[in-house]
Amino acid sequence: MRFLVPAALGLAALAGPLVVLYMLRSKRRTQPVASTLLWRQVGEPVSSAVPWRPLKFTMLLLLQLLILVLFVLSLARPFAAEATVLGPHTVFVLDTSGSMAMADRFEQARQAALNMAMDVSDANLASVVEAGPDPRVLVAFSGDGEAVAEAIRSLRPGGGVEDMSTAVRLARGLAAPDRATTVVIFSDGGQVPLSEEPVIGATHLIFDDRAANLAISGFDAEPSAEGAARVFIQVQNHGPDDRDVTVSFEVDELPGGSVDMTVPGLDVSRQVVPVAAGPGSTLTARLTGTSDALPLDDQADLVIGGGAARTVAVSGQGSPYLTALLGSTPGIVLIDEPAGADLHIVDGGPLPEIDRPTWLLRTESTPEGLELQGLERNLAVTFSRPGDPVLDGVDLSEVVIAEAQATESITWLPLASSGSTPLILLGEVNGHRVVYTTFDLVHSNLPVQVAFPILGANLLQWLGGGEAGSVSTEPAGAPISLVTPTGSRARVTLPGGELREVASDAGSFLDTDQPGIYRVEYVDESGTVTPGQVAVRRFVTTESSGPAREISVAAGPGGEGEEAFLIREWAPWVIAAALALMAFEWWVAHQRPGLGWRRQEVTS
Amino acid sequence: MLLEPRLRARLERLALGVRGRVTAQWAGRHSSTRLGESLDFADYRPYQPGDDYRRIDHNLRARLGVVMVRQFEAEQELPIEVVVDLSGSMGLYGKDRSARRLAAMVAYMGLAAGDRVRLWSIPGDGGRPDAQGPSGRHLSAWPQLEGWLETRPVQGAGSLRHLGRRLAGSGGSVVVVSDLLMEEWSEVLDGLASAAGGLVLHLLAHEELDPHLAGDLELVDAESGQKVAISTSEDVMREYRRTVEEFALAAARRSRRAGLDYLLVQAGEGEAERALEGLARREVVR
Repeated sequence: MRFLVPAALGLAALAGPLVVLYMLRSKRRTQPVASTLLWRQVGEPVSSAVPWRPLKFTMLLLLQLLILVLFVLSLARPFAAEATVLGPHTVFVLDTSGSMAMADRFEQARQAALNMAMDVSDANLASVVEAGPDPRVLVAFSGDGEAVAEAIRSLRPGGGVEDMSTAVRLARGLAAPDRATTVVIFSDGGQVPLSEEPVIGATHLIFDDRAANLAISGFDAEPSAEGAARVFIQVQNHGPDDRDVTVSFEVDELPGGSVDMTVPGLDVSRQVVPVAAGPGSTLTARLTGTSDALPLDDQADLVIGGGAARTVAVSGQGSPYLTALLGSTPGIVLIDEPAGADLHIVDGGPLPEIDRPTWLLRTESTPEGLELQGLERNLAVTFSRPGDPVLDGVDLSEVVIAEAQATESITWLPLASSGSTPLILLGEVNGHRVVYTTFDLVHSNLPVQVAFPILGANLLQWLGGGEAGSVSTEPAGAPISLVTPTGSRARVTLPGGELREVASDAGSFLDTDQPGIYRVEYVDESGTVTPGQVAVRRFVTTESSGPAREISVAAGPGGEGEEAFLIREWAPWVIAAALALMAFEWWVAHQRPGLGWRRQEVTS
Repeated sequence: MLLEPRLRARLERLALGVRGRVTAQWAGRHSSTRLGESLDFADYRPYQPGDDYRRIDHNLRARLGVVMVRQFEAEQELPIEVVVDLSGSMGLYGKDRSARRLAAMVAYMGLAAGDRVRLWSIPGDGGRPDAQGPSGRHLSAWPQLEGWLETRPVQGAGSLRHLGRRLAGSGGSVVVVSDLLMEEWSEVLDGLASAAGGLVLHLLAHEELDPHLAGDLELVDAESGQKVAISTSEDVMREYRRTVEEFALAAARRSRRAGLDYLLVQAGEGEAERALEGLARREVVR
């Protein structure tokens, strides 16, 4: 037992006066009696001349000594020190990526976080950061354990890839100068190392339970003649054993047939199935007849036909690969005049005026915000931005480039790089989305890679995102761009049917962690509802395998070997025991005959 | 009113028993130590001039040739001396009220039986050891006796030594109502031996028989002011209760040795009725 105020133990010396009081004879009370004749004849000595008497340990004395001891203990404030990861300020970073939905990973992580939140107090503040595709701070600097717990309970795993690096940066940003900040990461660790590993001053609690899992890893549909569609379905088996599974289809929430598949262990199985569905229909594929560790990836949605086609114009030198890409991308119509096109692709040549979404392929000059430094040769892709929806399903590891521009920018987002040389960048010029590729396609082997048509389709989809009537199919967590007309406000119907109002000045809707179909509507001041774009958010297939790794952490400055303790004081319990004993002592002194030195007389 | 009408009606049917012969002045219904005019034969004696001819036993003269006269028992009244202790020690626990009622009970019973009843109290007024109260032979004297008993004050230290000597050999019955909490209690009882017997009504309160005292106390004697310091404990209280029991047993033994009946009465509500039942069981009253 340890004490916060050990000096108070000195008050135990009060036991001495208490014992002395019991040894001293009290001042005698005068008691009139008819005669002292008989009292003088009592053989037992009835009195003594000395002012003290031998100490007799009565129950009252023992009780009062015990009460004194308890009160002295309460003043000394005994406590138990429990080792804890909680510091003066602790940031809880909870991974809500799709892989955390595997087995009980997220439930275990949430429970562990809730257990720690019970110890949150004004001395141990806490913040909560959700590490999903779009990390955000839910609670900051709170000493209210219930508020922290409520924020933790509100979290659930989605279908996207966690952006743990950003989440950790957010946590770092919550550091206060007057309080040491500890970051506790509740995560399976994902599969891509953080940009700042080892993470200084952080603790990683890993949750990596795994079990066999079947996932829909590919789902697409192409409209065909007479209202039918050819549906491509790919099921991946992440377990070692062969699995039989039935894939059921729903068209506009009505049964649309099914197909039985056998998926070999650690392999995929694909089928093309005709389904009676026309353009604009919603199509849902669902694995039935099996249960696995990750239900979120057992369902996939899409909208057949992708809505209205977009027009694309190509200027510059162009290339057969580009033409083939545009010809194979659904919903794209190639036109000659850039002035009437929805999207503009500029393949080399001078930099045009950016007045619409544009894909620039190594133009002679770089757009605004991108500074040309020179040329680099013989490059290989060494970095692909993890979790970015544009790169979902895109493998650039085999891409080599003969020559690329070396650029620098702080406003453009590098999508892929070779060392410090960005290769593909995303940005915005004059309010329009722009993709800048620093190399010529023909000076690389990208066009002959499997990734090229996927990357091209994703880039074109990203460029055309946010337009009314369009359909964007992107990984869960990708924001939905809003084009809210003046005087209107947007609202979004979530996959579960929940209707979410969006602030009128919001440019995008971010809460898209859950896979499924999101429908945007715009409501003007008169209450007229105009349908907006439909967005499909897919479960990111890389999460289905339940990747897990231990995030490398390191002690913070001066924190080497320093263990944090949580002080649990016992004083309330000690005081309660003392009060209970006091009540018992009072009862003994007043109710039990023959014991009460306070019981002065009964005679009357 | 010391005695309720219902109790008085009951007392009118009872009388104090007499162990021996009385010696009194007036004729009554109790056997006397003297010879008298009753119908109960007592003895013969030789005729002497002046004797009543009617008492000559002619049968005896015819058989034996001697002239003898018959003598008969005398029947006299029973003088009842009722002594009530109204000293300071009786002022606690309501003992004086109980003593007055017990004395009244005996006095009323005597008056109802035609006996001569005289009241005494200790201590007396003006420093005297005792005070003589009114007396009477008929119930007509009851109001006077009752008034005297009701108005006698509780005062000072009392001693039965002087009155005991005075009443010893009075020839009547002596009834003492007292707590006997006095140093000379044993010699007083020894000296109260009377030809006609007597009665000791030993009056003690419950608080004296089984006191509930706790802590360190200084006991103050109600009469002498004498102080005794005690520290109560289970042992001390047990010893005190044993002492009280021995005191009552010794008083009973002394009383019987002196030819007195003894009854320990606990002061309090209904004490007269309880005493009457106890006396009836011992056939002290009939």
